[in-house]
Amino acid sequence: MADKEATVYILDLGSSMADCHNGRTESDLDWSMRYVWDKISTTVAASRKTWNVGVVGVRTDETDNPLQEQEEGSEGYEHISVLQELGPMSMQNLQDLRDRVKPSHTQAGDCISAIVLAIEMIEKLTKKLKYNRRVILVTDGEAPIDSSDIGDISEKMKRSGIQLTVLGVDFDDAEFGFKEEDKSSIKEQNEKTLRDFAEKCDGLYGTVAEAIAELETPRVKSVRPYKTYDGPLTLGDPNMHADAMSIDVERYFKTHKAAVPPASRVVMKITSSDDPSDVPEAANGDEMQGVESTPSFAAVKNSRKYVVNDSDIPGGKRDVDPSELAKGYEYGRTAVHISESDYNITKIETTKGFSIVGFIYQEKYEPFLNVGETCMTIAQKSNDAAALKLSSLIHSLHELESYAVARIVAKDGKEPTLVLLAPHIEPDFECLYDIPLPFAEDVRSYPFPPLDKVLTIQGNSVTTNHRNLPSQELQEAMDDYVDAMDISSWEKDDDGNRTMEYAPVYDVFSPPLHRINQAIRYRATYPTKPVPLIPAILLKYASPPEDLVAKVKSDLEDLIDKASVKKVPPKAKGKKDKGERPQPISGLDIDALLKQPENKKAALDPDNAIPKFKQRVELADDQADIEDAMSQMGSIIRGMVTKSFGDQDYDRAVEHIGVMKETATEFEYPDLFNSFMKDFKTRILSGEFGGDRRELWWKIKHASLGLIDANASEHSKVTAEEAAEFLKR
Amino acid sequence: MSMADRWNSDKRDEDSEDESEEELSEGYYKAQKDALIFAIQVSESMLAPSPKSDDKKATDDSAALIALKCAYQVMQQRIISNPKDMIGIILFGTKKTQAPDIGRQDSHCYLLTDLDVPAADDVKALRDLVEEDEDVDEVLAPSDQPADMVMLLRLVLHLFQTRAPNFGSRRLFIITDNDDPCAGMKKNPAWDPAVGAKDIYDHGCSIELFPITHGRSEFDTSKFYDDIIYHDPILDEETPGKIAPAKSGDGLGLLHSLVSNINSRQTPKRAYFSDMPFELGPGLTISVKGYNIIQKQAPARSCYVWVGGEKPQVAIGETARLAEGSSRTVESSEVKKAYKFGNEYVYFTEEEQKSIKQFGDPCIRIIGFKDRKLLKFWASVKKSIYIFPSEQGYVGSTRVFTALWQKLLKSKKVGVAWHIARKNGNPQLVAIIPSRAASDEKSGTQYLPAGLWLYPIPFVDDVRDGPETGKVIRTTDALTDRMNKVVQQLQLPGGAYTPSKYPNPALQWHYKILQALALEDVVPDQPVDTTVPKYRAIHKRCGGYIQEWSRVADDALEQIQEGKKLKREMEADEDEEEVRPAKKSRSTTTKDKNTGEDGLSNVELRKRYNAGTLAKLTVAELRSSMGGRGIDTKGLKKDLVERLEQWVEENV
Repeated sequence: MADKEATVYILDLGSSMADCHNGRTESDLDWSMRYVWDKISTTVAASRKTWNVGVVGVRTDETDNPLQEQEEGSEGYEHISVLQELGPMSMQNLQDLRDRVKPSHTQAGDCISAIVLAIEMIEKLTKKLKYNRRVILVTDGEAPIDSSDIGDISEKMKRSGIQLTVLGVDFDDAEFGFKEEDKSSIKEQNEKTLRDFAEKCDGLYGTVAEAIAELETPRVKSVRPYKTYDGPLTLGDPNMHADAMSIDVERYFKTHKAAVPPASRVVMKITSSDDPSDVPEAANGDEMQGVESTPSFAAVKNSRKYVVNDSDIPGGKRDVDPSELAKGYEYGRTAVHISESDYNITKIETTKGFSIVGFIYQEKYEPFLNVGETCMTIAQKSNDAAALKLSSLIHSLHELESYAVARIVAKDGKEPTLVLLAPHIEPDFECLYDIPLPFAEDVRSYPFPPLDKVLTIQGNSVTTNHRNLPSQELQEAMDDYVDAMDISSWEKDDDGNRTMEYAPVYDVFSPPLHRINQAIRYRATYPTKPVPLIPAILLKYASPPEDLVAKVKSDLEDLIDKASVKKVPPKAKGKKDKGERPQPISGLDIDALLKQPENKKAALDPDNAIPKFKQRVELADDQADIEDAMSQMGSIIRGMVTKSFGDQDYDRAVEHIGVMKETATEFEYPDLFNSFMKDFKTRILSGEFGGDRRELWWKIKHASLGLIDANASEHSKVTAEEAAEFLKR
Repeated sequence: MSMADRWNSDKRDEDSEDESEEELSEGYYKAQKDALIFAIQVSESMLAPSPKSDDKKATDDSAALIALKCAYQVMQQRIISNPKDMIGIILFGTKKTQAPDIGRQDSHCYLLTDLDVPAADDVKALRDLVEEDEDVDEVLAPSDQPADMVMLLRLVLHLFQTRAPNFGSRRLFIITDNDDPCAGMKKNPAWDPAVGAKDIYDHGCSIELFPITHGRSEFDTSKFYDDIIYHDPILDEETPGKIAPAKSGDGLGLLHSLVSNINSRQTPKRAYFSDMPFELGPGLTISVKGYNIIQKQAPARSCYVWVGGEKPQVAIGETARLAEGSSRTVESSEVKKAYKFGNEYVYFTEEEQKSIKQFGDPCIRIIGFKDRKLLKFWASVKKSIYIFPSEQGYVGSTRVFTALWQKLLKSKKVGVAWHIARKNGNPQLVAIIPSRAASDEKSGTQYLPAGLWLYPIPFVDDVRDGPETGKVIRTTDALTDRMNKVVQQLQLPGGAYTPSKYPNPALQWHYKILQALALEDVVPDQPVDTTVPKYRAIHKRCGGYIQEWSRVADDALEQIQEGKKLKREMEADEDEEEVRPAKKSRSTTTKDKNTGEDGLSNVELRKRYNAGTLAKLTVAELRSSMGGRGIDTKGLKKDLVERLEQWVEENV
């Protein structure tokens, strides 16, 4: 559960913040705001009503704050403006704020006064309630500061539990390793003052560069422990036999896939047309601004209706009345409906429980059998007996190098699953980890030939001297390379020695998750800027570490040499040599048989077009033969589509087109296919095949059966872009 | 555009982006479905009862009946595992001819089950034939003339063409005991089964032979079948060796060997990805194919059935899109994808969306190797993908792959790789783990092929923290010894987990009930559930040991509590001497017996919340009530009360 928060940002908007320093091309303000915007937008994204943000500008042109008005005559609150009252923050606020955070034309304004204002704001909102209170000051320290009340103010902050963070533009920070040369004397003085201040109220003090560097490291959201089971872990059935084992346990998630935020479907809301000037300017889709607030977007809702196939009706589909629908399932192609009262009839009846089935040896299990996420089982809280008993099971599994197989039903009525329990022992912690096991149906039996020998078609087995088996030299080169590429202890420790595991789980951030979060936050803050590049930290493990690659260079070269792998040129992939075509096991010369006069026919049989077409092209004597086969195939396809009742023969047509395209590519006659396809598309879209056949075009598009482009066949005059364009509409 | 079109077209868009586990078929334009035709020979020898046997379980079923039983089993399995696949059954060599759409009345082919997704009636008809022995139509009668193989192959091709157009996989399984069906026939190039077989292959279908032998007879494939069964040198991994004949000794033996032969070929092998570049290091790439050998199977989703007509029919849902807060129908071209940000939306153009998701082309790129023991047991998120070398992209892939496989096995290492499974797919860090050869006796997974597996490793974001736990209470050596006896007594067979022994009880029950409803059978009342532990056997073998373990545990517990009591008393003494700091260690507060083990019940909490008396609880009571609910127990009493109030407000 998130605590309530009240955070006030104090932004130094003095004219000096518009300058660029230390080789940056960004103004000091923009640069510092990178940090602030990131923080604020994170708050906005969370959209929690209990998270309050306020923003105060110091060294602003105007003066706009309650203290100024209240304490007439009291000095020091000039050039301080409340840019955003302390409260929950919406994206609209964020955008308004963006317009207001601009460098001013003044140098005057006191940061300490702004802190006093921030304290007032926080006190007013939070009263005595439980809040995380924070004030974050961002300044370049170039304006005079009245430090006379620092002692009182810091006392007050400590009392109120307000944490101060001072972030200074190019402030010196020995710990981070930054020191600015030729600093102005006033800045030097202010740095000292602010550091003292931060120390006095137990606050934080740092340089902006450090804060920005930290932004690069993704934040991992911690999630409250989720209990997946609590109850007894049994061995035997305590209800049946008094001697059965029963330990009260609790089971929690150990791993759970962190969800990547999904995109939702939205449409532009169309404002009522009564007042034409009211239409948002972005209403015509493409010119839409990057960020739109709620009023201009609407979520898309689905409304469902149901139809059944009915061949008596044009279009073949009939709407049905929802009252005539029953829930059910398909058994093969038979619809089985189940009445409301029987709805649970197909559900297996189960009672909650967690029971051990038996034990297996650790070495007899392979982790690639896992079918999902891990849970951890610990003894019930404050139950010494359970803790002791569970510990004995954990230690026993550990000593005997065994795992337990258990059946778990998380709640009454839930389907049973089998899990594998493994012992885990740390000095201050013990648990059983479990992963779900596959059932019989979850393992498919796919036959594969063995790797360490080659079975010939005659049924002999070859174990050496075969192109598919590694030679002694290759095996040795591989052994050396794998050993050299070891990263079990490649990461450097604090002393710079390579003692730590490289890429352990705790170092690897989810790239898709943090990438999308970064892009969303950035877009919300800078609506008009292009999407930023992927942070380097997310790509750190996309390739082997460079220093390691340098180290293994000679081993790798040796391996490449011994492997002598050859890339198959893209063109050759389609075209098969005659020896590589599938052929009867007997080696019968099927071509000779097909060339017999009895089997040579001039016309392709529409009922057996695909094989005969392929055979015609394969055995063609000249180009004219191929052209003829192609044109016959084209007219068979057109005839098939014309005769199709509804969408009945569309799949067949797609298959024919697919074979035609494949064959044209393989035999390098792309133009023959392309001209057929162009003509065919025109005919479909003009409704020439007896009605609306656009559904067929969708199918063709989906199967990517458009033109053969130059990438697929070098003889093609169609570019990849043209081919893509052709499919588009 | 009609609404149906819109719905369909959108559905396609979604499919193409979907990161789901959809498999790729070889020909990418083809549907990922399988059509299977059984062609079962009917002849005197196929119909002869099996010879008597001493085995009690043996039957005298004929070979033909056993083949039909096989087909029946496959049909039932398919309905569960691949509800979109089609099955057909042809008997050939029958006296009767029934071959629709294909002229000739004397083909002696009988289409028993037309090629289609099986309907309940098909299952029932087949069941009546194999289980009730009700051959009402007398289809199991042999013809005088042998079946015409050309006609059989033409019929098969016709069914594949018209019933299963554009299916990614179409296969004919021939079950026969006759190795020379064309004996004595004149050669005629225009009427040659080899041409029919070639047509079937060229249409993108394949033929597999399941030979049967009786007694000492041989099945000589060179007489006929070698001409019509094809071998594909490119895809030689698809056909590892020919299928050995199933022997009809006694009925059961034949059934077993035929079932196991057919099961090994039953599932069409679909690649999850093909031609995937596997980079072993910069400059060394080979190609591999990936397969979903482990794939969680779940019951098909429920649907709506229209019961207003003569026959119940599945209703197809069509979706129209409406803008929220209005009844305006939305055209699909208007629909944009945006991300929720706070309560609002952040929008990216289509190109930007793509660029955000772009992490590079599909690949498996090794970034190093690790000791296998560094791969922690708990580091699991989802199922693994099996990979096997392919010579399609790089010649020499197989030997390099094999060398790597052998090295990883030998040195007990795993690879670590960056893996993107498909275009625009999400990257995943995977461990590359070798599986031992099936012939390897040390292997605990002999039912799996040798190769490498891509095992997804969780990201730090996927790791959850458990609840806070107190001081660990550890077992004693004596207690562990007692538990060891129990564990040793209850080894599963072979000391390994064998998935085939545990069908998914929920899945099986779902379909069993569905089948009974569909066939209008009596609904069974007790599910078969092999996952339930064998309680009686556990009691018999271990009851005594567990009792002993319980006694030792009680003794140890007494000692622990004695020790605790002492400690508490000493602490109490100290308390009197000096005021202890506010921070008490959690283990002593939560172990405080006065508060009960679970703290207060939800009902009690709500009562107190309503009455405003939560603050009257002691800190210890508050903490134990909160700790058990996973609420932070740190801080001052007023903080605890406030947090608990909030929790009650939200949860009770």
